[in-house]
Amino acid sequence: MIKKINRKGQEEMVGFALIIIIVAVILLIFLRISITKPEKEAVESYEVQNFLLAGLQYTTDCRDAYEFRSIQNLIFDCNDEKDCEDGRKACDVLKSQLTEIIEKSWQIGQEEPVKAYEFKILSDEVEMLKIARGNITSNKRGAIVPLSRAGASIDIIFSVYY
Amino acid sequence: MKNKSQMKIQQMAFMLIAVTLFFVLVGMLVLVWKFSDLRETATALEEKEAMLLITKLANSPEFSCGRAFDYGGSACIDADKVMMLKENIGKYPGFWGVKNIEIRKIYPEGEEICSLGNYPNCNIIRVKGDEISGNYISNFVALCRKELYEGDVYDKCELAKLMVSYEEQ
Repeated sequence: MIKKINRKGQEEMVGFALIIIIVAVILLIFLRISITKPEKEAVESYEVQNFLLAGLQYTTDCRDAYEFRSIQNLIFDCNDEKDCEDGRKACDVLKSQLTEIIEKSWQIGQEEPVKAYEFKILSDEVEMLKIARGNITSNKRGAIVPLSRAGASIDIIFSVYY
Repeated sequence: MKNKSQMKIQQMAFMLIAVTLFFVLVGMLVLVWKFSDLRETATALEEKEAMLLITKLANSPEFSCGRAFDYGGSACIDADKVMMLKENIGKYPGFWGVKNIEIRKIYPEGEEICSLGNYPNCNIIRVKGDEISGNYISNFVALCRKELYEGDVYDKCELAKLMVSYEEQ
């Protein structure tokens, strides 16, 4: 009788100890995940926003009959398939100037805080231009600038991956 | 009977240890989450403060494009105005409460420091103080000026960074 009680008690203890171990292991795993969660750097989405706002004002070397075109104007020129005064296509100038501006402004690499970027121009939700570089990560900051003129609705989206 | 009691005591002891361990771990988890939130809040506040300072500077009458340029938005700095401000910076002691103010062209880039002699063919305008050092904050701005092309005046805007370093405590 005593043997039976002993065995029953031992089984209970083993079961209980197992439950404690399982709960402790689960909690430790949770703790580890929350402690080793990749620390977000002080990444500024307002920096991305300002980059877009300032970049749109950049004066390109593409001139129409009246003036040197800004990036913002060149986007609409590209959408309307216009050319510069010197015969270059607005879309070609836009792409080359934007690529250079983004490359100079956002240094990417494994040693740099910025790992990748993606710049997109959507005209009525159809992709008009895309410039992307680097390996995309899960830590993303971005901004959207909507523009509209003469019925054309354009969204400029820039995402930076840290 | 004695064995049964001992067993019960052992069970109780295990139970107490388990409950204590459980609550300690839960408490640690809560603390970690709390501190993680605090860090995020501090970062967000720092970001906001930096943004406010740079925005305040860029939009102040001494810097902003105002209505002199077609695209004079919130991130637009009048380079001509800033050059004049640089020459008269002695009249603004402690006005902005910052140590250095520098505007550095990002595109086109270069290391030429601006003076009245070489402006606008230069890249760095040191508005206040010497070279930026230590902790600084920065943001993108459009650096605009008036240019001449075949006798016509037009707006020329380039991409730059407004950099500000604080007074050291």
